[in-house]
Amino acid sequence: MIDGLFASANYEGVKKMLDASVLRQEAISSNIANVETPHYQRIDVNSTFGAELKRAIASNNFGDVNGVQPRIEVDREAVAQNRDGNSVQLEKELINLQKNMIAHQLQTQMITGKLTKIRKAITGI
Amino acid sequence: MIEIMPGLDSAASALQAGKTRMEVIGQNIANANTTRTDAGGPYQRQMVRFETYLKDQMGVNPSSSSQLVRVSEILSDQRPPREIYHPGHPDANDAGIVQYPNVRVHEEMADLISSSRAMEANLAIIRTARSMALQTLNIGRA
Repeated sequence: MIDGLFASANYEGVKKMLDASVLRQEAISSNIANVETPHYQRIDVNSTFGAELKRAIASNNFGDVNGVQPRIEVDREAVAQNRDGNSVQLEKELINLQKNMIAHQLQTQMITGKLTKIRKAITGI
Repeated sequence: MIEIMPGLDSAASALQAGKTRMEVIGQNIANANTTRTDAGGPYQRQMVRFETYLKDQMGVNPSSSSQLVRVSEILSDQRPPREIYHPGHPDANDAGIVQYPNVRVHEEMADLISSSRAMEANLAIIRTARSMALQTLNIGRA
């Protein structure tokens, strides 16, 4: 019953983005940990996640958004820069790390904003 | 399950592996001029080999996707020893040649620096994981 309060495509979308940020943080930390492991292939959140989520949010259907699931997969587009077959580039990973942290900050703020609004509507303060 | 501090175990495993690597580099530099070992002959340069492994291979948490790193083995460098003419040295052969270890200190210093940079990158991961966890705990507080 109370679920109805939160059943908006936007709110569900932000939650999915937050899930993706946490997964991406795991992927980046795996990549940096394995920066010197021969034949390691970098991993990332699936590249189709962004487009799928965008489409689901645009359809404004709560169920559609709920069905989009981020997952980690091997990045097939990254090519090894040297002969040890490792496709991680440390600089890029560190930039992704910072970007991901900012994105995570934004998403938590958006969720907080939504919760604050609901609380205000209930209590009036 | 999603952890409160994402990516922490990968970073921790990398720091552990990095520490082993640094120890091996230190051992190589310390023995750069050791001409006699228990095995006979000069000291041989040691190298570490890294390998990836998945967290929770025991099936405790199969949904986790973190890829950890560990030192799979420590190998000896098979390059020939340096030969230096040094008659009178206790380990010199009949021709006066002494076999010194195949350690090149410049190489070791370069490895040491790249190892130290990798450690710094992993510490950056830990810092961001911490700030993300604090952020998450603040959800809902205006």
